[in-house]
Amino acid sequence: MSSHRLRGLAAAVFVLCAGALASPSPAAAAGQTVTIWWNQGFYPAEDQAMKDVVAAWEKQSGDKVDLTFYNGSDLPAKIISAITTGEVPDLCYVDNGDFLLLPQNAWNDKIVDVSDVVNTQKSLYNQTALTAASLYDNVTHTRSFFGVPLKQQALHYFVWRPMIEAAGYQVSDIPNQWEQYFDFFEAVQKKLRAKGQRVYGLGYSLATKDSDSTYLFNQFLVAYGGGGIVTPDGKLHADDPQVRQAAIKALTKLTTPYKEGYVPPGAINWGDPDNNNAFYAKQIVMTPNATLSIPVAQMEKTDQYMHEILTEAQPNGPDGKPVTSLVSIKLAFIPKGSHDADGAKDFLKFLIQPKNLDTYLAAARGRWLPVMPSIVKDDPFWTDPKDPHRPVATKQEVDGPTMPWFQSFNPAYSDVNAEQIWGKAEANVMTGGMAPENAVDEALTQIKADFAKYPVPAQ
Amino acid sequence: MGGSSALPASAVPARRVRAWRGGVQGADAFWAAAFVLPYIAVFLAFVIYPVGYGIWLGSGAASYRALFSDPIYVRTVINTLVYLAIGVNLKLFLALLLSGFFMRPQRWVKALLLVFILPWAVPAIPTFISIHWMLNGQWGLINNLIWDLFQADGPPWLDTPGLAMGSTIVAYIWKWLPFWTIIFLAGRMAIPKELYEAASVDGATGLRSFTSVTFPLMANLYTVCTLLSTIWTLGDFNTVHFVSGGGPALQTHVLATLGIRDAFELGDPKLGMAAVITALPLLIPLVILLMRRLSKGEVQL
Amino acid sequence: MTASRLRRTLGSLGAGLVGLIILIWTLAPLYNMVLVAVQTKDDVFSSNIWPPHPNFFSFAAVFQESYWYLANFWRQMGNSFFIGVAVALLTLAIGAFTSFSIGRLRIRMGWLLTNAALLTYVIPMSFLAIPFYRIMQSYGLVDSPWAVIAVEVTFATPYAIFIFQQYGTSIPHELDEAARIDGAAPPQVFWHVYLPLMAPALVAVGTYALLLAWNEYLYAFLLLSSDQTITVPVALGKFLNSDEAPWNYLMAASIVYALPPLVIYYIFRRYMSAGLTMGGVKG
Repeated sequence: MSSHRLRGLAAAVFVLCAGALASPSPAAAAGQTVTIWWNQGFYPAEDQAMKDVVAAWEKQSGDKVDLTFYNGSDLPAKIISAITTGEVPDLCYVDNGDFLLLPQNAWNDKIVDVSDVVNTQKSLYNQTALTAASLYDNVTHTRSFFGVPLKQQALHYFVWRPMIEAAGYQVSDIPNQWEQYFDFFEAVQKKLRAKGQRVYGLGYSLATKDSDSTYLFNQFLVAYGGGGIVTPDGKLHADDPQVRQAAIKALTKLTTPYKEGYVPPGAINWGDPDNNNAFYAKQIVMTPNATLSIPVAQMEKTDQYMHEILTEAQPNGPDGKPVTSLVSIKLAFIPKGSHDADGAKDFLKFLIQPKNLDTYLAAARGRWLPVMPSIVKDDPFWTDPKDPHRPVATKQEVDGPTMPWFQSFNPAYSDVNAEQIWGKAEANVMTGGMAPENAVDEALTQIKADFAKYPVPAQ
Repeated sequence: MGGSSALPASAVPARRVRAWRGGVQGADAFWAAAFVLPYIAVFLAFVIYPVGYGIWLGSGAASYRALFSDPIYVRTVINTLVYLAIGVNLKLFLALLLSGFFMRPQRWVKALLLVFILPWAVPAIPTFISIHWMLNGQWGLINNLIWDLFQADGPPWLDTPGLAMGSTIVAYIWKWLPFWTIIFLAGRMAIPKELYEAASVDGATGLRSFTSVTFPLMANLYTVCTLLSTIWTLGDFNTVHFVSGGGPALQTHVLATLGIRDAFELGDPKLGMAAVITALPLLIPLVILLMRRLSKGEVQL
Repeated sequence: MTASRLRRTLGSLGAGLVGLIILIWTLAPLYNMVLVAVQTKDDVFSSNIWPPHPNFFSFAAVFQESYWYLANFWRQMGNSFFIGVAVALLTLAIGAFTSFSIGRLRIRMGWLLTNAALLTYVIPMSFLAIPFYRIMQSYGLVDSPWAVIAVEVTFATPYAIFIFQQYGTSIPHELDEAARIDGAAPPQVFWHVYLPLMAPALVAVGTYALLLAWNEYLYAFLLLSSDQTITVPVALGKFLNSDEAPWNYLMAASIVYALPPLVIYYIFRRYMSAGLTMGGVKG
């Protein structure tokens, strides 16, 4: 008897507990509330600007918004998990979503087509933004807009003017040709080291984590003519000799200075903030970064912001022509299973009205750039000649040649980035003693394996 | 244990209520069951379910094919073994030696013990971040000191795989040495003084008294501590994550950090779980050994 | 005589040297924390091994939440405290109930429970992070402190059950029986006889659980995410993603966060080491 009772009790309690714990979350059940998960901004004003847009839309539409800001480093995992379990928010935005989330989930038909949103402002978007937002759905076998472009980023180079001068150079001495440009900072280091300073000329990440090293390598790949590694039809061209040669040159140009001591040894281990740190610490003369965060974070220090930190566009390529900037387009998206996709779309249409988008982006102090040339034209904030940084970046990204990242063409490249295949190739050369040719061949083999998982149908 | 011995030991000598002992019946059985229900609920909901779910997640053959073909995984397994073999054993050996040192009767030794315990009493995350910076090749405290003294760049503590692994192990020892020293200290204090006196009458002092008295009595404790510490260290995420971060070039991951990386950075929970599950062939024998030792009841923790 | 005196002098010299090494070894990383905390943001990267102009501005910023990464610092301290206390109380309750049932009521199959607890005790906590992450979502506990509390109670309770079982053997059964003869039902025995006698073990285990929860990082990081719900260690981890290199604030906040466990540890030290070593070597 007693054991029966015991078992019955245990079962009852377990069912009770499980029932209580497994009850669905209340937010998802409500109908008229749009649940938004948004990447936390880099400045408090950025979050405030988003809250203001939301409040304005709530007033206009009469709907409610449940807006939560999450840290960008754990939001992707949260969204992946939400999509897996089906309890999704109505609208998401993550800074690195265009790298990690959108291509695969569009491919697997897990995202809502937002063409009707994008089309409301289609004529205003730049072509790169439209290309990047157009993703392939492997279930319906169509390419369509699955993300709504909000802002963009590309690599710029930041230099300490006082260090250049301490080495006996002028800013005008900095060459504008690819190879010479990077070699110049080696010369600066030699001069400064001769004076007993503990500095490195080149401060770029060569790590196998975060995104800085990936960004730099791929930009170098494009500069050396390897931009055709993936074509807009989603096909990989790993066997194209031009791509292979470009990859070898990029790898050699990036790793040789490391081996010769012109890049801090720690760069093999740098996370995304570490080049910023080393730059603020004045331990490196030059560093590439994919946003304007380096000067913008020092805005309160007028001397540094106005005079000491230089923002430079990319030098001309090894072929002497302007280098196409690899532009990452930041996309908002609506996961399938959203309870109020219409509300989310309505909010997005409101957000991408040029005036609202401009206000939102300007609140981030120009850390990100607009995806609509008209915003730059209409708001003097972006081209203000008194600002030493913003106009440089704007000119490069809005006027200069640009192209989207390869994962918009095929989600396999997302895996290539996440697995840090190029970062590992760099490590193989720097610490493994591998020849760049072999490291590139090994990387291309792995890249082919990743692409095999995403076969593009003949179009 | 102090408190209880002061109590009247046997208020009810002869008339034992047998229902209390052995078999339980009726109302008592009901209460006995009621009292264990919360734990059973916790065990089912938060042990059985996650373990089962984890095994299910990590049961696909494709994950293992992907895992075993990854050169990082092979490196990670080697790292894990090195981390356990050197980290745990060096730490426990040092702890055993230091517990002897802290047996010294002087006042300053007692005061030093209070300071010595700090690494364990302070939360792990800030101290590991601090160690990570101390070891930074460009602006860390240690290389600053080397630069000030010799005008030369110090070793890149975290930037070559070997040094980074070594640094992580040192940080791990720093954090956990005090805990195990205290355990061994308690073990030593429980050895009756008469044994040492008897040994010294027989002419055993110093090392001899250690090998003839201390070690035999501590051997079982030492073994259990080694087993337990190995198991805990196998699951250690914080040290590697915050000190070397798995770098450079993913060369210093251990299974616990690789699993989390695969699951959350690569967004592949199945691969992550597969990495964790490959630790089971090492974990399960350790657990069986430990449970046998513990159930003998010779050592309690 | 002189030889033995020489040996003794050498011995205490050696001991002093060992002591000095232990002191430097122990304090170096802690010194580094203080060094960073008392400098200004710009001095942090200079190659100082001694703070040139020590100041407490960063601590002031922590107390006033005047740096934006610290905007929710006290709220996060509150979260850490809430989770710590909840974990301690639940662990004590569940642990005491279970050990009472196994040890005093002699529930059938009690050994099974003991072994289940022992097995849980030896599962490395981090190994279950991936399934837990998914499970907490299906339980609807996304971004909820209860998710973290549940995990930590799960891993702290087995330890509580052991300590209570071992400690319980030192409490004579005759006491329970006397109470039973006076007509007390098991709940009354538990409340009036068992718990009071277990007080020292309760303190030890409670402190253990509180510190476990206070220090825990991985699960809090995975299961919590918004600034209003995260605990302090997660907030400290987030500093590392910053573009602004606010390391002085990070270390000042770390020191503030490290103080409560230190105080608790030194207050309850006597109980703690008793709890941790419970017997040490038997016989």
